[in-house]
Amino acid sequence: MKKLKNKAKTTHSTISNIFYMLKVMFKISPVLVVGEIIQHIFSTLPGRLVSVIGLKFIIDEVEKGGDSSKMVLGIVLMVAVIVFGEVSTSVFFELFVHREREKLDYGIQSMFYKKAASLDLQKYDDPEYYADFILSIENSSNSIRYVVSMVKGYIGEIVSFLTIAGVIFSIDPISLLIVLGFVVAFIPMGRYTGNLQLKRREQITEKHRKGDYFARVFYLPDYAGEIRTNGIFPLLRKRFNESADEVVNTQKRFAGKLDKLFFIQDFSIQAIGFVLVLGIYIGYKTIVTGEMSMGDFVATFNGATLIGGSILYLTVYSVRGFTEQSKMIEKCRSFLSEKEKIKDGGHIAECNEPQVISLNNVSFSYEGNENDSLNGVSLEIKPYEKVALVGYNGAGKTTLTNLLLRLYDVKAGEIKIGDRDIRDETVESHRNRFAAVFQDFQIFSASVGENVALSKNFDEQRVLKALEDAGFDKELPDGVNTVLLREFDDNGMMLSGGEQQKIAIARAFYKKCPYVILDEPSANLDPVSEYELNHAMMTKAEDKTVVFISHRLSTTKNADRIFMMENGRIIESGTHDELMALGGKYAEMFNMQAEKYNA
Amino acid sequence: MRKEKTKVKKDKFETFKNVFFALKIINKCAPRMLVAQMSVQISFWFFTGFVKDVLFLKVLLDLITSGGTFKEYVLLVLLLVASELMATAINCFSDYYASVKWKTFYKKLNDMIFQKAVAVDMGCYENPEFYDKYKRATEIITEDHVAMFAWQFSNIIAGSLTGIFLVGYVISIDPKILLILVVSVFVLFFQSIKGKIDVKKDKEMTPHKRSKDYVKRTVYLREYSKDMRTSDIFGVMHSRFKNAIEHNREIIKKYGWKIAFFETMSGFFGKALPVAVTYIYAAFRFIVKKDLKVSDFSVIMTAMSNLKDVFNDVGDAVADVRKEAEYFGNLKAFFEFPTTVINGTRQADELESLEFKNVCFTYPGADSRSLTDVNLKIEKGETVAVVGKNGAGKTTFVKLLLRFYDCDSGEILYNGINIKEYDIESLRKRFATVFQDYKVFALTIGENVLCREVLGDDDRVIVDRALRSSGANTCVEKLPQKAETVLTREFDEKGTGLSGGEQQKIAVARMFAKDFDLAVLDEPSSALDPVAEYKMYESLVDATKEKTVIYISHRLSSAVLSDKVFVFDGGTISESGTHRELMERDGEYCEMFTLQASNYKKGGEGEQQ
Repeated sequence: MKKLKNKAKTTHSTISNIFYMLKVMFKISPVLVVGEIIQHIFSTLPGRLVSVIGLKFIIDEVEKGGDSSKMVLGIVLMVAVIVFGEVSTSVFFELFVHREREKLDYGIQSMFYKKAASLDLQKYDDPEYYADFILSIENSSNSIRYVVSMVKGYIGEIVSFLTIAGVIFSIDPISLLIVLGFVVAFIPMGRYTGNLQLKRREQITEKHRKGDYFARVFYLPDYAGEIRTNGIFPLLRKRFNESADEVVNTQKRFAGKLDKLFFIQDFSIQAIGFVLVLGIYIGYKTIVTGEMSMGDFVATFNGATLIGGSILYLTVYSVRGFTEQSKMIEKCRSFLSEKEKIKDGGHIAECNEPQVISLNNVSFSYEGNENDSLNGVSLEIKPYEKVALVGYNGAGKTTLTNLLLRLYDVKAGEIKIGDRDIRDETVESHRNRFAAVFQDFQIFSASVGENVALSKNFDEQRVLKALEDAGFDKELPDGVNTVLLREFDDNGMMLSGGEQQKIAIARAFYKKCPYVILDEPSANLDPVSEYELNHAMMTKAEDKTVVFISHRLSTTKNADRIFMMENGRIIESGTHDELMALGGKYAEMFNMQAEKYNA
Repeated sequence: MRKEKTKVKKDKFETFKNVFFALKIINKCAPRMLVAQMSVQISFWFFTGFVKDVLFLKVLLDLITSGGTFKEYVLLVLLLVASELMATAINCFSDYYASVKWKTFYKKLNDMIFQKAVAVDMGCYENPEFYDKYKRATEIITEDHVAMFAWQFSNIIAGSLTGIFLVGYVISIDPKILLILVVSVFVLFFQSIKGKIDVKKDKEMTPHKRSKDYVKRTVYLREYSKDMRTSDIFGVMHSRFKNAIEHNREIIKKYGWKIAFFETMSGFFGKALPVAVTYIYAAFRFIVKKDLKVSDFSVIMTAMSNLKDVFNDVGDAVADVRKEAEYFGNLKAFFEFPTTVINGTRQADELESLEFKNVCFTYPGADSRSLTDVNLKIEKGETVAVVGKNGAGKTTFVKLLLRFYDCDSGEILYNGINIKEYDIESLRKRFATVFQDYKVFALTIGENVLCREVLGDDDRVIVDRALRSSGANTCVEKLPQKAETVLTREFDEKGTGLSGGEQQKIAVARMFAKDFDLAVLDEPSSALDPVAEYKMYESLVDATKEKTVIYISHRLSSAVLSDKVFVFDGGTISESGTHRELMERDGEYCEMFTLQASNYKKGGEGEQQ
């Protein structure tokens, strides 16, 4: 049911999709698109023409005892075309096509990347959208360029079909009628088998999903420890085998049907149509009535096979291919035309002194969730304040920071910085005012400098300073240019969880901005580092407003103000001492954690 | 110079070896699949390319020119129809057989890969070389390399067979044509040079391809989505992508002329020239010397045209098979990847004691030791806390204990006997482990807890109890299908996605459902809020009363109640004793604890300036 939701609102026809993609590619590299098509015709048509019209011409001329110089000229011409077709192919591909394809790749991927990077985060939360669009586009945007190959094959076959049909028609129209008659008669069946193949593909892909999941589980290092220690292997293996059996059975069912249909189709068109009916007809015309010459006979005999191939390609193979490509293109089109809900405002936010951040009656719920994640939250954060958000899992702490960053927009209420609603600013200028360290921060396979600055251009001194402030004390062999992770560089530096976290925290110190958001900044840190981080936060970030989230109440104790959240609401707020004096939920939570330390 | 030569030779040999391996593995996983695939290809190629286009064309033409009757002609046509019937039948049946076998291959090969994946050292997963091999090995399945290999390999066989018959037939008409065809031998020469340049080019492009893949991952994957939106890192990635493209274009350009030259030469000598000369020669005999029959002339022309196609397709097929063979080479390397953690034979009995004696360990490829001379002893029934800074060696300690790695020197004794002597599975069965990076599987909640199928009511009771102990029950009971709910929406629309905290509770429930001697808990509550954490600890204490427990945690509160505390520092144990003893010692532990506790002290001295 839910699937329907994700199917694009307006589906385009196959032709429209193919043309759309061709147009996109044509814009990036016009010469490639046109060149490949022309080149393809050049390399396939001459050979086919030789076996039909070339042979006929020479045989007929010889039978007539015609002019041999004309024939020699004909032969030389044929040979020249074949040699040219052969030689031009490799030169064209090696010197031109491969390079242009890289360019095409760049153009197409850049288009997708930009879209992916600006897509509403909400789209990533929707598991179906994520799997159906984002991941499937990641996997197949490469294959989109094969549209050109298919189109050139298609055009090539049309040209070939028309030319050869023309030749046969000029020899004997009835022969052509027989050929076309059989071909046309079987088009419905061809369509039917084509659809059946698509259906098979769909079903098998569906069944594969399960099997592929288990394959992934074995492949991912995160699962390796788990699988080795908890004895789950036999169960996983069994489940995989069950799903693999389903794949085999589905295949059996469809392949059995399909191959029967193929048999009927092939045998009827090729054997009955082209060999039996057409063969006897042209034999009769040649032997009995003598209306056909020897050349005519050869040309029709060879031509029928070629036309059969072309028709099969045009009606069955290519239809399947185009339909599949079209589905993919449809996905890409709707992905690219996805409208962002987080829209730019008209004002460009300034990135200087911190101002008051105020939330008025803010409510928010994630798409598809019935319950509000935030429910009428109002609060005010003064400039330079160090504010802590604490509370149970799912209380809405991270949601609140997501809203502050406009990763999502409020459903009701408003968030203001200074006097201006944050939705009035451009998204970029607004986010630019924040440095954010997320719970699930990522380290990139790039230099330390780039990782801290999150930008190509960085100030070496400030990077080092930020690292120092974050308590990062590992020696960097190449200074800020030390490459992290081993994606590209086998000598890349590997970091422990705690060191990674320090790099992430350094980002907050580096960025010149008035506001800092830290979501569980000390989750991976040992007690000493945690203590140092807390200290640094209070002293080194004194010119900034800081909002931090933590489960460890010791971390948040020194905050200027603490907001205790529960079920999307703020239930208590104040300094640590005030809240302890209040004796409410915060005090209860704190005591629970403190108990052992006071023992 | 010389070295390079032997290397190239080895590479060539390698391709054959890989092809051989591919054939072997295909035959093992899906017997007769290749035979079926070949008969698909042969029935098609041989029939259209030779029997129909050449053989029958000649017979029919001969009949017509020699004044045969229409009746004879019809008989021949019927014979052709009959042979076409046979060819089509073979083709369709083999196709059916092969396509089913493909899927069997998918099943069997995956199963083999899984078994190897589970059998290799855990350390392999941290070894980029192994991981790369593994990745490529899986690509064989996911990217249909098998299909490609089988298809193109069959094309080589079918094409060559057809080619031989075509050539044979043409030569039987006029042996002199053989001389013309010999020229095509040059193909091999040019192709092999071109192949070498191709390999070189690919190698140069590999890092840029990797770079492209990486950028792609960061752009699309959810994990990176927030950072992408709140910083300029997208710009860094995009320019890296652009760079990779530019490099690739440079490389293609650099090799373009060379490759084009050899490719052109091989096309010219291999296909264009022989075909052209044969055409001219046949035409000369037919038109000028007039000593060639119409049928022979037609057949030579058609056969040469078909031969050209055969050459083209076989050439492509050889190139593809060569490429595909490399993937199988990776699969082979994956299967042959050495295991250093060798299984023992002794069955592990109930735990009495566990001892580390002078244990040293360095991660493969690392410069410095992760553990140096670690000595410790844990007795049955003790609760032990392992604490220390990040990177002090705590997790490494667990990895050695579980035999994910073996220590370089020293020994680990289980009941006084070196753990290397035990059967790994029997040993691990004695442990219940909860990892920092716990994982749940796309199975039902019950199966996730039991780690096997849930059979009968007894099992359900165990699951319920375990879920209650870990605190997961409140969440699970809200689900319509309770513990039968499948986790993640990976492939079940009715599945459920749980928050990190809830997932962790389910992972912890595994421990409660397991009959174990020793619990190893590596930061089991990192994703939990204080209340959930508190409750979980209560149940843990309860469940492990009679058991031996090793706690690893940054939160030193866990150390207070334990019988012994081991403080790791820089890969060694710097202090050990009870909480009280260590506090009195006033060493590193005391410092850490005081720091952490300072903020919890009631009305504490505080750190505020």
